[in-house]
Amino acid sequence: MILAGIVVTVAGWGLAVASLGITQSTGARLGLVLVGIAISLVGILGVLNQHYMKHAIWKK
Amino acid sequence: MNKRMSVVIPAFALCLGVAAIARAQTPAAPAAPAAAPPAAAPAAITVDDLKAVAPPSADARAKGDPDGSLTGTVSDITVSDAKAGLTLADVLNQIGQNKIAVNFAWTLLCGFLIMFMQAGFAVVETGLTRAKNANHTMMMNFMVYGVGMGAYWLIGFALQMGGVGAVANLGGTSVLNAEHTISLFGKDFGLWGNTGYLLMHHGTYDVAVMVIFLFQMVFMDTALTIVTGTAAERWKYLAFVVSSFVMGAFTYPIFANWAWGGGWLATLGTNFGLGHGYADFAGSGVVHSVGAVTALAMGILIGPRIGKFTRDGKPNAIPGHDLTWVLTGCFILAFGWFGFNPGSTLALSGNGGLRAASVAVDTMLAGMTGSFASILYMWIRYGKPDASMTGNGFLAGLVAITAPSGFVNPVGSAIIGLVAGVLVCLSVEFFDRVARIDDPVGAISVHGANGLWGVISVGLFADGKSNYGGSWNGVAGNVTGLFYGDAGQLVAQLIGVATLLGFVFTLSFVLNLAIDWVVGQRVPAQAELEGLDIPEMGALCYPDFVLKGED
Repeated sequence: MILAGIVVTVAGWGLAVASLGITQSTGARLGLVLVGIAISLVGILGVLNQHYMKHAIWKK
Repeated sequence: MNKRMSVVIPAFALCLGVAAIARAQTPAAPAAPAAAPPAAAPAAITVDDLKAVAPPSADARAKGDPDGSLTGTVSDITVSDAKAGLTLADVLNQIGQNKIAVNFAWTLLCGFLIMFMQAGFAVVETGLTRAKNANHTMMMNFMVYGVGMGAYWLIGFALQMGGVGAVANLGGTSVLNAEHTISLFGKDFGLWGNTGYLLMHHGTYDVAVMVIFLFQMVFMDTALTIVTGTAAERWKYLAFVVSSFVMGAFTYPIFANWAWGGGWLATLGTNFGLGHGYADFAGSGVVHSVGAVTALAMGILIGPRIGKFTRDGKPNAIPGHDLTWVLTGCFILAFGWFGFNPGSTLALSGNGGLRAASVAVDTMLAGMTGSFASILYMWIRYGKPDASMTGNGFLAGLVAITAPSGFVNPVGSAIIGLVAGVLVCLSVEFFDRVARIDDPVGAISVHGANGLWGVISVGLFADGKSNYGGSWNGVAGNVTGLFYGDAGQLVAQLIGVATLLGFVFTLSFVLNLAIDWVVGQRVPAQAELEGLDIPEMGALCYPDFVLKGED
């Protein structure tokens, strides 16, 4: 799950960077970058943090 | 007249003459008030003028100079050729050096102010943690200065600034001229600099480079000290040292290169037409967000303190041991911020350096509205004005205004601070109750949520009035946000946000995961319960006090 979280987080950034080459429209770039940010947040809070929460010290 | 004077004086007179003609051709200005004195007509300086300037007489100087009118005169100008006497070239060289001297003095003094912020962070973080960990928390904040500086001197500075090119405000530092780039989408993407190791590499033993190093080094150290707050009360000291070194050498400098060292984020404007590229005047993103996303990675990796959450996941408040330190530290930090933001002009003389006054006022206004917003939020929601959250609201406003301070007007800065004050309260509640990431000092919320807000706010509130020498990041004109007509600037800022979350977080997470495997990040449970002062540091911070341990 750690690897999956890392991959998802980096993928969000990759989409934001790729928006520079995919389109020249400012609006389309804005949309792609916002989606990229959302994906990275899912990777950080939804995947990585959830994985560590399963083994959290307060659950022991 | 010597040969040099015969060339310089006509050229200078010609420039003044052209200026006078240009002035005459501009549209008539509104009538000046009657009391205003008439504008003096430009006049060319002649050799006779120079000869007529005489230093104060020896008799006059012998009487002292109580009003200062005799100190600093023509006799203080260095004459390059004693036989030729004072020449116009000597005068012009002195003027140039005075300009750079003013900018050196300004940037160095602001750097000294920023260095003092380390003391502010130290007492804020120590005050917000428990007395049984005070020595450990203080010592992390103390040594992060030296560890970070060492890493930055050895490696980090070269990676960050090694390809920045000449910095005109500091007299030009063209020796920093090696940027490693790759080609992507048909454009050059700068990734890291490659000169300036040890401040000796490739001619970087240079006075202007020294000024840049000092100023950038204290910024870097500010980012590093953010992590110690989130990981406080459970971070193994050896792991802290290794982690801080790695961050000072690699994590911070790489993003800082992309934003400030001529890297690919800075060139989003010239390469892709996105406003002026990623614009971060003093580091809401480069300093505060880099520190905070690293803190977030550490917070997830290291886990919450014992006792922070109940078995069903409800958060317990763990109060700090000294609110006096907390609020005093906030004032120390606010004082240092007057170096952080206004100092980022790197100049008072030339290239819009006088804008530093506006930057300073924007900074204090955002801090004020941030503290007001947070105190009101807590008072309304919980019935009492919370001291630590008021302090955090103050800092949140300052963090948020750090990136836009050079580009926004006073009303914009007040709004940015107001939003920051509420955002920090909401963010602390989110990380406590939803994400369950233990952050003893609220560093992720203060520096992360509001650092990112500050980056975004440039793309919204930049009013297009600030002009630092005609261009920013190589794009002519002024930085302008969405509310003033440039949506492209907002996109550039959001790409910066995506990079902070997607790249910097991941790099920090992976590096600290590796350190966890090799060194171990977290202290044993018994040491944590006892307090880290004895197990980790060997001495109590308050040996005369009776400390409250846990079983």
